[in-house]
Order: sequence, then C-alpha cells, then structure tokens
Amino acid sequence: MSGRWWKRIAGTLVAAVALWLLRAGSLTPLRVGEEQTALLRLSWSARPERIEQCRRLSDAELAERPQHMRLRWECEGRFARYLLSVSVDGRPLTTDTIRGGGLRNDRPMHLFREFALAPGTRHLTMSLRRIDAEARPDSATDAATAAGTAAADRETREGQERRVRRAESLPELVAIDTTLRVAAQRVLLVSYSDVDRRLVLR
Amino acid sequence: MRALERPALRSLRAADAAATRVYGWRLNPLHQTGTVAAALLGLLIVTGLYLLIFYRVGAPWQSVQRLQADPFLGRWIRSLHRFASDALIVAVVLHAWRLFAQARAWGPRALAWTSGVVLLSMLFVSGWTGYVMVWDRFGAQLAVSGARMFDALPVLSEPVRRVFAGDQPVPSAFFFLNLFLHVALPLGAAAGLWIHLSRLARPTLLPPRALVYGVFGALAALSVLLPSPLAPEASLLTVAPRVPADLFFAFWLPWANALPPWLAWVGAMATFGLALFIPRFTRRPRTGEYAPSVVDERHCTGCNQCPQDCPWEAITMVPRADATGAQSAFVGRVDPTRCVSCGLCAGSCAPMGVGPMLRTGRDQVARLRAVVSLPGVRELRPIAICCEHAAPAHLAPLRAQGAEVRLVSCVGNLHTSVVELSLRAGAPGVMIYTCAPRDCRGREGPRWLHERLYNEREAELQARVDRTLVATAVMAPGDLDGTLDAWRQFTARIAAHERAATPTLDDPLGAVCEPVPFEAEAR
Repeated sequence: MSGRWWKRIAGTLVAAVALWLLRAGSLTPLRVGEEQTALLRLSWSARPERIEQCRRLSDAELAERPQHMRLRWECEGRFARYLLSVSVDGRPLTTDTIRGGGLRNDRPMHLFREFALAPGTRHLTMSLRRIDAEARPDSATDAATAAGTAAADRETREGQERRVRRAESLPELVAIDTTLRVAAQRVLLVSYSDVDRRLVLR
Repeated sequence: MRALERPALRSLRAADAAATRVYGWRLNPLHQTGTVAAALLGLLIVTGLYLLIFYRVGAPWQSVQRLQADPFLGRWIRSLHRFASDALIVAVVLHAWRLFAQARAWGPRALAWTSGVVLLSMLFVSGWTGYVMVWDRFGAQLAVSGARMFDALPVLSEPVRRVFAGDQPVPSAFFFLNLFLHVALPLGAAAGLWIHLSRLARPTLLPPRALVYGVFGALAALSVLLPSPLAPEASLLTVAPRVPADLFFAFWLPWANALPPWLAWVGAMATFGLALFIPRFTRRPRTGEYAPSVVDERHCTGCNQCPQDCPWEAITMVPRADATGAQSAFVGRVDPTRCVSCGLCAGSCAPMGVGPMLRTGRDQVARLRAVVSLPGVRELRPIAICCEHAAPAHLAPLRAQGAEVRLVSCVGNLHTSVVELSLRAGAPGVMIYTCAPRDCRGREGPRWLHERLYNEREAELQARVDRTLVATAVMAPGDLDGTLDAWRQFTARIAAHERAATPTLDDPLGAVCEPVPFEAEAR
C-alpha cells in the first residue's frame, strides 16, 4: 500500500477519533445532585401586611388639601416583617427575617429557598409569623359620614380599598406542621395560596 | 502572560506538525480554524432555520421530540446542529490559541482579539439559550443554574428561579425570549464578524472547498450514524442526580452549582476580563522587529502599490507636503496603529522607499552586499531564503543538504532585488521557502511573493532573471520530506541548467535602482 493510502487511512482514523471525542464531550453525564436526596423548596410571592397608624381627617382639614389629595384617612406606617422558621424532625433548617422587596420594602415579599432533605418519613414544621405586631395593623375604620354625599362615597371607596389590601396581604401567621413520606429525588414544594391565604405543600 | 506564549507556540507547532503529517499543509484544519468557524456558523444558521420551522414555544420538548422521531431528516439535522455548535466552539478556541501562541493578539490586532472574545461569549450565551429551548433535563439544569447566577445580581427583587419552582408551568414567554435570543445572537455574531475582520483588507471567509466538504461531511456522518439522543422532558419537581450535558457549553456548570453565586460571577468575570485584556498583557514595545513601517518620501514615487499590498490597510496615499515638479503629487503614509510590522510593503516597493526599520528593500540589499563583498563569495552555495516562522526545525536539515540558509520575517517582506542580486553575486540558485499560505502571519506573504516572482506584480523580479534558477516551496512543520524533496529537485534542476552568462558583480545595487544614500534622520 502506498504512503498516500496510509495517509488517507490515518486521516480517516484521526477524524473518527475527533468526532468520537466531540460526541463524548457533547453527551457527558454530569453529576448535578445526589442520588439519595430530596429537596424542600419554598417559593412564593405575597404582599406583606402594612402596619400603620391612621387618623381620620376632619372636614376642615380635608378642605385645606388639594382636590386630588383629599383622603379621609391619613395613614403612616411601614410594611411588616415576617419571621420564617423551618425545621425538619425538630432540627431547624432556617430562621430568617423576611421583608418586602424593593429598597423601601414596599414590594411583594418574594421568596425562593431550597433545602436538601434525606428521604424517609419526616416531620416538617414551618411558620411565617409577622414580627411587627406592636402597632395596630390598619387602624382605619369604616366611619360614618353622612350617607349620599360625595365625601361619603369617597370614604366608602377608601374603606373598600383597605379591605382589598388586607385581603391580599399575608396573615399574621401561616404555618405547616405535618409528617410526610419523602421519596428520593423528589421536590417538596411549599408555596403560598393567595386565595386560601395559607401555605400549600405539594 | 507572555511567558505562556512560548509553551503555547511549542504545543501549537507540535499539533500543526501532526495535522500536516496526516492531512498535508493544504488541508491542515489547524491553519484554518477561523474560516472553519465561519463556515460552521453558516451551517448552524442553515440547520437552525430548518429546526425553527418545527419548534413550538408552547410545547418546546414535545416539538423537539417530534423532530427527533423523524428518522429521515429531523433527527439528524438536529444532531448536526448540535455537533456543529460544539465543533464551532472547538474551532474558535483553537483559533484563539493559535493567535495567542503566535503573539498575534496585541497592537493593531487587539480589535480582532477583543471582538473575538465578545463573539465567543455571544456564542456561549446563544448555545445556552439553544439548550434551554429544548427543555429537557439538561436544558432545565442550565436554566436553573443560570437563574441562580442571575438572582445574585441586584437587578430584580423577585427571584428568577421562581419561574422554575414547579408550582406552575414555565410560561411560553420564557421560551419565546430564548428563541429570540437564540436567533438574534448568532445573527449578531455574524454581523460582529464585520468588526472582527474590519482591520483586514482582504479577509478570507471560508476554508478551501475540500476542507468544507470534509468537515461538514464528517459532522453529517456522525449525525446520521450516532445521532444525539433527546433527554427526558424537564421535571421541575424532581431532582435529577445526573444530566446528559454538553461540556462544550456547560463546562462551567459544576463550578457554578458548587460555588456561591457571587463567587461564580467573580470567576466568570475574571476569566472574561483576562481574555479581554490579553492584548494588554502580551503587547511589545514598537521597536526592533515590532517597529511599524515608515515611508521614505524621497524615494516614494506615489505608485500606490504599497497600499494595495498591505493586508491591514495601514498605508494610504496623501498629498505630498512639499511637492516639486520632479516628485509625485502623492506619497504613502503609514498609520502605525494599523501596521503590524509584517514588512509586505517593503517587498512591494520598487524604489525601496517603505518598510519597517532595517527591513526595507535597501536594508536587505545592503546586507547582501555586505555578505558578497567578503572574500570567497563567488563560491556561494544555493541559497534557501526561509520564512523564519515557517518551520525552524527544518533549517538544520536544510543546511545539512548544502543550503545557504537565510531568514526573512516573512517572504512577502523579501524584495525581489535580493533574489536577482544573489544570483548575480554567484549563487547557483535561490529557493524561497514560505510558510503554509493559510498560516502566514503577514497574511499574504506567499501570495504576493508568487505574484512578484512570476506575474509581474510590483516590485517584480526583472524579466532578465532566469526563472529556472528561482523556485518557491512551502516549508510546513511535519512535512520535512516535502521541504527536502523540494530542495533536492531544485538543486538537481539548477545543476542541470546551463547558465546563459556568467553574471558580474560590478554594481549590483545600481542594476536594480538608482542609489540613494540612507539617511536615518530623514525617516
């Protein structure tokens, strides 16, 4: 066989090895987790409760305000902080203070945490408890103003808005206390249901 | 950083030699990694367009599964797309390695290097989006790891990872965004090639046809014979301990998962920054062999040849400041920020008025005169003028064959007058060894040399020179037999050739051009 043919054979072999390496590199099993492990994932987005002190303005005070700023109830306050506690079989996984998003913490409280769990039967205890309880939450009330007037309509609307805000915000305490069987390679997902206002485990 | 260039060059020469032994210097893929990468980008765009027809953002994995189930076209085109993207990364990395090893990443070439680093980053991100689009386990792992990294940045208050929590399906908008980026980034990269090549006068975009057929054919054969399987659909509520990963795009995954996100960011940015600043770390002072060309306006005839020959468009013709009737209205001017000191302009200038310091035609002739004025020069051996970068390991065997070896920084720098004067000085013949044309550091050295020797391109070898006594050959690492065979054939030819007349050495310089005294201050 001539040298030219040897070169062709060598060239084909080198190309075959290069292609094999290319394919092997393209389909390499990569270890990204443990075989015998499960995951507890906390993921939710919820609006923290607003802790505020409200004062009902008199008609005279209201009249001094510009037209577009005439709210019957003037409130000052902040959004509540919450204490997140998670423990499995009595062993605490985390205890952390959770705040609303944004620089002023006035955005919804977003949370994403993951904890590795050993498979088996586990007792999961978890709570999200409001910390800032010293001030009275939403101290405004639906007060009586002479019905049928524009001021009364506005005050009714304000009351409705406050009720909606309250309904949308996290309760003072949401918790899970349950025993469950954790399978290997499973993800236990804890999220928050806006509708039921409770934590949901799936 | 420059200390790494030498081992890099050694390893490159070894790899070059091995590849040349197998494929020959004409089809050595290592000489053409840049053009192979461009060809692969074209292949990716074509195969990607086909896949795009069948992809559904509302059911990503299912649409890919349907493609995978098509045994005639879909499966292997998908595999070809995947393997070509891997080969593209390999080609680009080899391209960068070559340029770094050959010290071609700094100075006027810095723009090409930095734009290349950015283009490579774009390809990585595009590959990342491509794998996420499939939404198999590997894609989900890439998405989650990427989201984890992104969440470390103080950009969004809501963690991106919540999208992949598993409490609700991943929105179609996410896949649409990936699709958009996956299409836009390669198109952007193709446009970015314009910046990458903007400093070149005549960029070469594609490798030789045989190499294109070979690379595409090999990848197609691999795709047909061993197509890439489709991993199971992503499940966000299970933990996959292993995923079938593409290491060319996901080599960072183990580190990114093991390290805190901020540390992974620091590592990624440090690597990117280091790659970006390699031109800074490897730069040299622009003196000596790195000095840019200069035009000696006294000799410039305004012929416009050097701007045409310069591969970097570093020379322009400008109106002469103090033109007299006897001088040309225009004169060449070198932009030192674009000049890479290849010296090709010196070989292009008949009156020898341009070139890097000590490498102009006049400098070359002066050196030759110094040699031939020594006693016994009439007994010159056949001369081998070699590109000093071509294959240094071949020089000793060549000397052993009786060659009088002389080195030039690039054969394009060689002035043809040197060839003529060597013959007139008594050399039996002049053989010029070039590097492999696709591996020329001056880009067009072998090409212009050939044109000047045989096709009357300025500054051409004069018609009076007997071409039988002149030859060119390629000297490539790994092809010593080729180098020595060419030498033996050449020496046999000149031995059999009867010279027309015995040359005289009365005034070799005057035979070529009007003598003009060298004045360093005037340059």
